[in-house]
Order: sequence, then structure tokens, then C-alpha cells
Amino acid sequence: MNQKDIPAISPDAPVILEMIGISKTFGAVTALVDATIRLRKGEVLALVGDNGAGKSTLIKILSGFHHPDSGRIVYQGREVRFGSPRDARAQGIETVYQDLALINDLSVYHNMFVGREYHKRILGLKLLDNKKMRDLARTYLDTLGIEVPSVDSLVELLSGGQRQSVAVARSIYSSPTILVLDEPLAALGVREGAHVLGLIQNLRRQRDVSIILIVHNYNQVFEVCDRINFLHSGEVVLDASTTETSEEELIRIVKSGLGRQAIAAAAAEVAARTGS
Amino acid sequence: MARMTATSHGAPRKVGLREADTALERVLVLLSRYREASIAVVALVLVVYFQLGNGAFLSSQELSVVLRDTGRYGMIAVAEVMLMITGEIDLSVGSTFSLAPYIMVLLSISFGAPLAISAPTGILVGVMVGVINGIITVRFRVPSLITTVGTFFLLQGVVVSIYNSQPIVDPVQEPFNEIFGENLFGPADPIWSWHGLTAFTPFLWTVLAVLVMQVVLNRTTFGLHTIATGSNIIGAREIGVRTDRIKVYNFMIAGGLAAAAGIVNTTQFASADPLAGGPFLTLQAIAAAVIGGTSLLGGSGTVIGALLGAFVVATLNNGLVMMGAQATVSDIYLGAAIVLAMILNVQVDRMRARRRV
Repeated sequence: MNQKDIPAISPDAPVILEMIGISKTFGAVTALVDATIRLRKGEVLALVGDNGAGKSTLIKILSGFHHPDSGRIVYQGREVRFGSPRDARAQGIETVYQDLALINDLSVYHNMFVGREYHKRILGLKLLDNKKMRDLARTYLDTLGIEVPSVDSLVELLSGGQRQSVAVARSIYSSPTILVLDEPLAALGVREGAHVLGLIQNLRRQRDVSIILIVHNYNQVFEVCDRINFLHSGEVVLDASTTETSEEELIRIVKSGLGRQAIAAAAAEVAARTGS
Repeated sequence: MARMTATSHGAPRKVGLREADTALERVLVLLSRYREASIAVVALVLVVYFQLGNGAFLSSQELSVVLRDTGRYGMIAVAEVMLMITGEIDLSVGSTFSLAPYIMVLLSISFGAPLAISAPTGILVGVMVGVINGIITVRFRVPSLITTVGTFFLLQGVVVSIYNSQPIVDPVQEPFNEIFGENLFGPADPIWSWHGLTAFTPFLWTVLAVLVMQVVLNRTTFGLHTIATGSNIIGAREIGVRTDRIKVYNFMIAGGLAAAAGIVNTTQFASADPLAGGPFLTLQAIAAAVIGGTSLLGGSGTVIGALLGAFVVATLNNGLVMMGAQATVSDIYLGAAIVLAMILNVQVDRMRARRRV
């Protein structure tokens, strides 16, 4: 799983998503100020920044959970407005939230298919096709190399890594256009984290699905991401390719001062040098 | 279920689920796996106890009384189970139970509407009560415990003031009445006859409702989303479950079933009594749901258990009275049973959570 294994993304890769000038306030709290991000097909984009920088709000707007106060979302060439998570999901945007959105009281296979269940008709009644969902879940988890005690187990009984893996597997099952992962590696052990990173690297190698990743560990950012967007106080203050900047430089920017100006200045410096 | 891995010593070591250590834990694990079975055992023990104590408990007359009560509590308890799984509760069912048949009988008497038309109208009223309870709860974010205390009093007041709190005689319309609760069973009738069957119709309608809700809960998308809503409401929303709608629909089911139970009760007694339901009925139905193994925490519950719980409540009430106890004494046992069942439910839930390693 080395950066070198995977060729850099083609500069011709089409832009699949633009979130332009997004602002959002919650009561007195300003979460996002005129934030803009751009994602190309097959690209892995890291959103980094301190707690409260607006990363989670930004992706929750993309996934239809929140609605922006202003700004536009252009997805696959046309302006869209997602009314609900169901909307965004139906249009190919899958999100793995920090809380994983797993239902503890349901089995692994039911969790895989909540919201897009398979049915069969018995006496004209539309009933769940549990056998089909169980078989599909088992086969799919096997394909991804994800081990769970059984697809019939309640997810409540799984370990942290197993839960994370099931959540990721669920989100990539429907071959989404965009996959959003909110801190997929938080709270995972080294081995479990490596497995989830491996899943992401496999997707990246295929350059088919575009991924937005919220991460805190810069080491992991440089391992799996093509580009970095740094958020500070609700603004995107840095947009750089991982090949044009380094972990040390990123840390220097973060440490350069707590003020917005200081970070913006440091970011501008990187931008000027890389010409991006 | 435990996955096996080898340790450096080569001896297999279990990971995943921790095994139950003590005898108590083992019992709790068994209970969590077979909740309905354990309450069925309690019901059986009660039946044997009352039969030995009195000898008449298993007579068809007495069983008819017990099963009619079971039907009345059970139909409402099933609806409460669905709501409790979503994390809500409906205390207004006791008033809906009185209101719906009152409207049914009034429509038939005042406008000459056949019961076959006024009864669905009554059920529709119950469903509308559910819509109101649901919308107040999800839109205005009032906890359903409070919402439905409010609508309980409101509807109780309405039904009492419609006709000066007078009971109204249910019009005689066959076969409607004998299908929906009228008891034609006399001492001369054999049990296996139409008249014998009518001794148990309220119970049989409830069994039907339980079977339908069992399928709805465990075999439909709606049931899956009901569990998801109560288990993890934010997560369920994030993956596209319309949690507000699911809650409102379950309030509608509760209102509709409470109305249906009230209508069956009215045809049974040939009278629509504005005080037929009341707070006591609401609480007995919730007791049945809790004794049946549904916790108030949301996310899990059993409708079969609710029926068994209703049977336990009905058996306690009638059995103790039959053995010569004051009616009030049975409340002591009922109260103790609720507290014990709730302690057990919570322990079983905790046990389940602790077994996560």
C-alpha cells in the first residue's frame, strides 16, 4: 500500500463535484464561510483542519443532512439541491459518518441493506427478501476480505474495526459516484486501521469512485490522498496536491499561528510556490 | 458465534463474544435469546397454579373471560410495542378506546348508518388521533409521554361531554355484532360451534392483529425502519430512514388498534360507555408490553411477547379474584410483576451490551 503503487491522477480527469461559496450558520455559530471545494473523478480529497473548522458540516451538506444558507452544489455538470440524505444517496453520494450510522439492534446483513432493501412478493405482499440480503452481504464482505463472526450477528456485538469495515462496505456496495468518509480511522487499532486504509487504496487504484476523506492523521493523508483542502474557521484556506506539499509543510502551516491571516498567508505561500 | 484464533501456545482462544461466566449470566443470556419463551413459561405456571387452587380456571366460561381480557389488553399492547420500539409511547389509547366506539354508535343511532360503515369511521377517528399525537411529537418536539397525557385528557373530556357522559346502547345489527365481539355462548352450547367461537372472538381478533404486526415488524421494510428509528435515530436518518414518518405511522397504528379494541369491547357489552377505557386500561396495556419483554429504551421489542404479557395480566386479575382475593389485591401482584419484568428487561439489555468485548 505505497503511494508509489498508484499513479497520480490524470490532469484530464473531469470535475465531478463543485461546492461553491457554501456558507452555513447554526444560530450564533458560524460553521462555514464561503467555502469552495472541487473534486475530480477518481480523486481522493482530504479535508483537514482543527475541530470545529467546518469539515463535518461541509460533508453533511453534501450528503443532504444539512442545507446550506447560501452557495451552490454542482454535481456531474448540473446544479443540485439535496433535500435529504435519501436524496443524496439515490444520486450516488454515499457517506460513512463518524458515528457510522449502524443500527445496533439489527444484524450485519440488515445493516448492509437498510434504506435499499430487497423484497419478494408473497401472496401479493411486499416482504423483505432476507435470504437474498444475507447471501449478498456474506459474499460481498468476503470479497472485501472483511471478517465478521456472522452476517446474522447484531452489529452491537462487533469490534470497532469490524463495525467500521461494515459501514465502509455498506457505503461502497452500491458503487457510488462519490464516497464520503468522516474520520474512518478514528478509534481503530493499528491493524484494523491498516485494513480500512487498504480498502480505500483499492478504490483509489481503480480511479472510479471519487472520495472525500476527513482525517486528522497527516501521515495517512499523504498515504492515501491526492489532494488536501485545509479548513480553518469555516473557510478553505489551502488547496494543494499531496505531491506538491509535504507533511512537514502542512504541520508548519498549522503551527504558524492561530489567526486566520497567519494560516492564509502560509497557505498563499505554498500556493504561490506550487503555482496552483 | 465466537470466532476462534490460535494463541502463541497453540491453544484456541475465543475472541468476539465473551462467554457467560456465572449461572446468573447464563440464565440472562438464555432469557435474551428466548424472551417470548420465558414469559410463556410464566404464563403456564400461573395457569397451573390457578387451576390447582380453584379447579375452574380452565373451564370454558372462565377461559372465555380471561381470553376476552387478554384480547382487550393485547390489541393495545401490540400497538404500544411498535411505538416503544421507536422510542415513543402512547398514553392516550385509553381515551381513543372510549371515543371511537362512541362515535360509531352515535353515527348509527343519529344518522342510521350501518355499523359496517360507522365502525371503519370510528377506526379512522383513532388513526387521526394517532396523526395528531405523531405530529405534535415529531414536529413540535414534545416528548410523546407529555403529548399523549395531554391528548388523553382532551379526548376523555370530549367523549364525556358529547352526550353528558351517558352510555349509549349499541344497535343490534347482525352479523356485525356477533362477528366483532358479541358473546352468544350459553351453558347449553358446545364449545366447538359458532356460539362457542363467539366466546373468544375478541381474543381471536387480537391474535390476528398480533400475527399481522409480527409480519410487519420482522418481514417488512417498515418494521426494519421502525427498529432502526428506535435503535439509533440519528444514524437511521443519516442512512435515509424517514424517522419522523415512521413514528407518525406507528402512532396511527396505535390509534387505529385502540379504536378497534374499543369497538370490539362495545359490541361485547352492547353499550358504548364513555368511561370504558380510561387511564387504567392504558397502563394495563403498557404493563402487558413490558411484562412481554419490551423495554422502554427503544430498538427492540416483541409483539408475541405483548400477547403473552396481556395473558399474564388478564390471568393475574381474574385468577386471584376467582380464588377469593379482593380485586385490589391482584394489583399488588400486577405491580410487583411489572417491576420485576422491568428489572429483568434492563438486566438482559445490559447483559447483551456487556458481552461486547
